[in-house]
Amino acid sequence: MRLHPLTALTAAACTAVVTTAAGSWPLSLAVAAGAALLAAGAGVAGRVLGSAAVILAPLLLSLLALHGLFFPEGRTVLAQWGPARVTTEGLGFALELATRTTASVLVLLLFSFTVSVPDLLAALAARRIPPQFSFVLASALTLAPGMAARLERIRQAQEARGLVVSGGFLSRLVAARLQAVPLVLALVDDAGVRAQALDARGFGNPGPRTSYRELEDPGGQRVFRACALLIAAAAVAVRLAGGWLATGLLGTGA
Amino acid sequence: MSLLAAEIGGFSYHGDDAPALRDVELTLRPGTLTAVLGGSGSGKTTLGKILAGWLRAGAAGSLRGSLALGGERLEFSGGDGDPRIDPAAWSGRVGYVPQDAATMLSTVRHTVAEELAFGLENRGVPRPEMLRRVALTAERTGLGGLLDRNPEWLSGGELRRLAVACAVIGEPEVLILDEPLASLDPAGAQGIVRLVGDLRASGTAVVVLGQAADGLARSAAHWLVLADGTAVAAGKPWDIPEQVLRDAGVLAGDAAGGVRHPAPVDPAAAPVLELRDVGFGYARVGTGPARSRRLMSRPRLWRERADDADILPLLRGLDLAVVPGEIVAVTGPNGAGKSTLLRLANGLLQPRQGDVRVLGDPIAGVPAGLVADTVGLLFQQPRDQLFERTVLREVRFGLRRLTGPDGDPTARAMDALTAVGLAGSAAAHPAELPSSRQRLLALATVLTRRPALLALDEPTVGLDRHGLARLHAAVADAAGRGAGVLLVTHDAAYARAAAHRVLELDGGRLRETWRRPAP
Repeated sequence: MRLHPLTALTAAACTAVVTTAAGSWPLSLAVAAGAALLAAGAGVAGRVLGSAAVILAPLLLSLLALHGLFFPEGRTVLAQWGPARVTTEGLGFALELATRTTASVLVLLLFSFTVSVPDLLAALAARRIPPQFSFVLASALTLAPGMAARLERIRQAQEARGLVVSGGFLSRLVAARLQAVPLVLALVDDAGVRAQALDARGFGNPGPRTSYRELEDPGGQRVFRACALLIAAAAVAVRLAGGWLATGLLGTGA
Repeated sequence: MSLLAAEIGGFSYHGDDAPALRDVELTLRPGTLTAVLGGSGSGKTTLGKILAGWLRAGAAGSLRGSLALGGERLEFSGGDGDPRIDPAAWSGRVGYVPQDAATMLSTVRHTVAEELAFGLENRGVPRPEMLRRVALTAERTGLGGLLDRNPEWLSGGELRRLAVACAVIGEPEVLILDEPLASLDPAGAQGIVRLVGDLRASGTAVVVLGQAADGLARSAAHWLVLADGTAVAAGKPWDIPEQVLRDAGVLAGDAAGGVRHPAPVDPAAAPVLELRDVGFGYARVGTGPARSRRLMSRPRLWRERADDADILPLLRGLDLAVVPGEIVAVTGPNGAGKSTLLRLANGLLQPRQGDVRVLGDPIAGVPAGLVADTVGLLFQQPRDQLFERTVLREVRFGLRRLTGPDGDPTARAMDALTAVGLAGSAAAHPAELPSSRQRLLALATVLTRRPALLALDEPTVGLDRHGLARLHAAVADAAGRGAGVLLVTHDAAYARAAAHRVLELDGGRLRETWRRPAP
């Protein structure tokens, strides 16, 4: 069965919300593993995991350094160097945050690498979302491939004039330096011309719009979306209520 | 009754002192064809964009004069109190197709059909009507077979037809076409001419902007000739003297005028370029039937990974040899693989089968940057070739390695700029040059490297009479010093005037269609 883009979006967003609200590392790990399996099934595992690694590596390292070494509430000290103390509680908290973030990032990346951008745009247009918003969203989702294509053209133009790009890291670095300024100039120039053409094709029209692309939105998926939103809202409510309860109990105890 | 009447006292871009356009009047009536002719930098495109509401008074520059669309007349004094044009409403009535067709695309639609529908969606046209108009327009513009194709993967000629279709589908009262026949094969050009006829029959006023008094312009009832931003002649075509056209840089005949026929060459000499049994194709990817013309692709990767079943063959068993001093022209329909052939010659693409030799050495595995020392490629779109901040930097790029430590790349670059007549624009920004001068600049970047083989992709497109004279001289000089020239063109007259041999690329192979008779 083909998922309506809003169903996929709702599923991804609600999973991220519930995982965050639950704050339980076994659940987070299970969600992350599930997302990775689904990505493998959809044939985008490489891209999802690669992008996740780029986003998460610096984040996880900083979490570990911050909470693993400097956790004020830490009681069980495992090791100590001056002001830095490795505590069980600190490591636990870092693990908690890290798995939660990993799960959310993987789920959302899985969505962005599997969604059909034209379908998503059509779905948004059908719900009277302002087209300017949809355009920005679509441009953001297609920005990376668009920039890569433009960069490729600049590289070809430079190679055709004697720039030798070998496989080496240094050679690539030199090439990247030569391509950065042209890339930015080309994108700015493009944006100016594109704006004129979009205006001319009625893009700024305030009136109602129609859509060429038709999407099926089966009743089952609509029910699923409503349920997912309810569960996410409930998870957030329970979490908040639990927080207040804890604060309240501590308050009376003191 | 006139549909659109313009009286332009003056128009200056913001930041420029001199007006880009002054003292121009034009009246367009239903069902008429008007040709606005002029050389490079004459102000044709500026006029077209003002008429179409792409350049708006206040937003893009300052306009003195008046524009009357239908019954409504707008007066502009160049001040803050001037009326504002609503681009969406205006362009619903006046359509414009820019010279660079790619800029017309929304970039967020993934099939030709959806790209066509984009303007209708924005105007809230009901879906059944939209389906009807997409089908009708696709049929009128010959895009019927390409409706499911991703617009990014179209060839240059197909892209131009799509841009025209995007303007026509809105059923504007006035349609302005900037160089509509550039890079179209004869069938595509005939299609546009036929479409213009249909539109006129249904009451549309059509304006073509161009540098050549070609067949389409000759069928116009009214000509406006521009030079240096002002009208130098207007009236019926037969009332305008040839000399006025020539002085304005307009090409009176075809691009073949003024070509020096090349001197005979020794066919037995060692070739500068040799292709032996070359096969090539692009991988089928995604939902489209093929990403066949996607030149920014990475076929090297595909060669390693893709199975033969995933490859859409474009060239097969192709043989070609170009000897020193020889000029070979390649013609063929849009999308036949002509640009691909040139990219195989300079190493930007690698064949899936067979081999490519430059000066006798195979170039398989040699970085394109090194092949560039002997092969110079002029890209089909100057926009794809130019990336630097100034004209001089553009030509000087990569010259240092060729001139060596004692050479003077700046002097060498200036020589090339002088040869194409751009020495006075050395400090200008390439993107700000008129498109014909961009092509000459791209040519200068190739000439300055003095390659053993010149590979030219549609070199005549968009050049005015003066620009063509520069091109002819450059090609003759290169051949004269012993370089081989491989050029791709749709202009059959130019091909026969300039080349020793004309080859047609069709069905993946080259076939000789003409050879210069021995003197």
